[in-house]
Amino acid sequence: MFRSLKLIPLLLTMAFSVIVSAGPLGIGSVATPEMIAGWDIDIRPDGTGLPDGEGTVAAGEGLYEAKCASCHGLFGEGEGRWPALAGGEGTLDTLHPEKTVGSYWPYASTLWDYIHRAMPYTAPQSLTDAETYSISAYVLYLNDIVDDEFVANRETFARVKMPNEENFYVDNRPDSKNERCFENCADPKAFEIVTTINGLTPTGHFKEDSGVAANHYDGNPSAASESGISKEKNDTKIVLSDKATLGKGVYDTACQACHNPGIAGAPRTGDKTAWVSRIDQGMDVLNGHAINGYQGADGVMPAKGGNMSLSNDDVINAVAFMVELSR
Amino acid sequence: MGRIYEPSLPKLMEAIATEARGMKGLDRRNFLKGGIAAVAGLASVQIIPKASASSNLPPNLPKWQSHLGPGVVSKPYGEPAEFEDLQRRTVPWLTVDAASSISMTPLQDLEGIITPSGVVFERYHGGIPNVNPDQHRLIIHGLVERPLVLTMDDLRRFPSVSEIRFIECPANGGMEWRGAQMEALQFTHGMLACCEWTGVKLSTLLDEVGVKPDGKWILAEGADAAGMSRSIPLEKALDDTIIAWGQNGEALRPEQGYPLRMLNPGWEGNTSVKWLRRLEIGDQPWHHREETSKYTDLMPDGRARRFTWVQEANSVITSPCPEKPLKQSGFVEIRGYAWSGRGKIKAVDISFDGGVNWERTELKGLVLSKALTQFSYRTTWSGQPWLLQSRAIDETGYVQPTLKQLRDERGGWSIYHKNSIHTWNVMENGDVFNVQIS
Repeated sequence: MFRSLKLIPLLLTMAFSVIVSAGPLGIGSVATPEMIAGWDIDIRPDGTGLPDGEGTVAAGEGLYEAKCASCHGLFGEGEGRWPALAGGEGTLDTLHPEKTVGSYWPYASTLWDYIHRAMPYTAPQSLTDAETYSISAYVLYLNDIVDDEFVANRETFARVKMPNEENFYVDNRPDSKNERCFENCADPKAFEIVTTINGLTPTGHFKEDSGVAANHYDGNPSAASESGISKEKNDTKIVLSDKATLGKGVYDTACQACHNPGIAGAPRTGDKTAWVSRIDQGMDVLNGHAINGYQGADGVMPAKGGNMSLSNDDVINAVAFMVELSR
Repeated sequence: MGRIYEPSLPKLMEAIATEARGMKGLDRRNFLKGGIAAVAGLASVQIIPKASASSNLPPNLPKWQSHLGPGVVSKPYGEPAEFEDLQRRTVPWLTVDAASSISMTPLQDLEGIITPSGVVFERYHGGIPNVNPDQHRLIIHGLVERPLVLTMDDLRRFPSVSEIRFIECPANGGMEWRGAQMEALQFTHGMLACCEWTGVKLSTLLDEVGVKPDGKWILAEGADAAGMSRSIPLEKALDDTIIAWGQNGEALRPEQGYPLRMLNPGWEGNTSVKWLRRLEIGDQPWHHREETSKYTDLMPDGRARRFTWVQEANSVITSPCPEKPLKQSGFVEIRGYAWSGRGKIKAVDISFDGGVNWERTELKGLVLSKALTQFSYRTTWSGQPWLLQSRAIDETGYVQPTLKQLRDERGGWSIYHKNSIHTWNVMENGDVFNVQIS
């Protein structure tokens, strides 16, 4: 029975068989234009790949604030340690280089390509072409590369010139010329020996009493960098409800990026102080904010965390998960 | 077998300490924590002390020899012994989110040149996709005569190769450009692994699709949430790029790109796109995010190098190291790894005085192109401090540079490709610390 069931898909495949390729080994099937069109999402600096449609700086502002600002900041300055998108001009040759879209990126096409393929972080490839044009235009506007009248489309976008384009050159290594010397190769009197600052890295796996073992991801880099060592997690056992158990998977893919580190005013999961006033409002209010989005004094909650492919139940389950871990 | 009894507090503490002595790291801490909790609720506590550790030693009969062990297939897929502590680890503050982060290989615990698949370092730009191989496809299109869509079964029909190659993140050691920071070998050099990879040469697939004369570049794209993409020049593809489905004798691990990945031997790890779904042949590079915004090397003059693909010759001493201090005076074999993205390791030298004088080491085991290569130096240690260094030379004659030489060329902000000679300070008590000499 099992065996014959397995055969069915095989027979179906053979019955509806695709055109066999005519390469030297005759392996594989012809990739049809329809198949390719769905996956061929890449954009090049010359504009190859840019789709029809257009977007504006004005439309981009609202989209950016709803979908991007919670991580990248309202003005592209970057929330917490998420990447800054704007600023940093004139810093690349200083001791504190800030590599942003405006100060560093050589091509505007990269912006369109990357936003479309990988952003928002929790909902990749969810933006329409028009949304991508608008958000790209707005990020260029935040960097003073286009003005507020800019309309982005295939023609205008490919013409955008980035200020740092000329400052890239192809790898010219090997650049160092060490010699295979064996005797008196260095002057020990000139040695300056710099040691490691203790407490910066986890060493609990080989040193006793030295802090936490680095066998899990704490997800709170700011706390770690402030105190020098990461904090040990509270091991209290929490028994999750069925709803919250279902919500954990959603949380891991859609919510934790903000609610683990606690960026953009997002209450950190497990931070009882941050959650208590929120939980007091009742689950209906919390679920409503999570599903429809919320702008509070502390920060922004994008609707469904910016991932519109989630169902309302997904979001409700994820909220249950966070609440049960945080009270 | 121990008997059940109600212990006094000192006895309980002693039993806990005895038990903990045989444990490592986290286990031990968790046990101690449990023990302390047990002390807190003492009135109801009963513990059964296991036989003390010494009873298994000669002349006694070890307890594991006194009865039968589990039979065949008690673990259909085996795992390391419970006493081992082989783990990937990360430094949490390095990145803001685990789905776009890095973990490191425990080089200090490895034996030989093959990295077990389960502890190969991880680098994700959008987490690990859970790809169903039956529904995974590789599309090859663009400037080709015959655009193809290939199933995993199709791919396995092609003539295959198996090759042992290292893979390294260009940020390996990158936290140390401006000073010694990492307190462990796993963190200074662990964005590195070496596996046997099985797959089809990309040149074979390109023959099958027929690259048009103006096809010069290949865009490789992953099926992960980041849609990871890199431009690869045709010369590399025709040279030694593999499209791999196998790793160390089994299917790729999900962390390593299951069911299909690119492998560009000797090149920075991110070019070896995982969860590979698409190859497009074009006449120019794409300049995507991971080859412009990231993985370009900022120089002190504010300009930046792009397409810095090759991982230049590098080496590190793995024993002793911070995790493996010297515990006894007398004979010691100093061991380490050397590797080069340009080919085979020709020689490795070692210095005990911070690079003033150098000795030749012996290469041992397999010496393969673009693979981890072991080196060994036999000596004695009598408690004298050492500034231990290793220096790799590859078959092109390239000599691994000093940190000063690299900084003179590149300053302190280029993040990637820091392959300079590394220094371990061995103290009088045998402890080992990461230091930099400038």
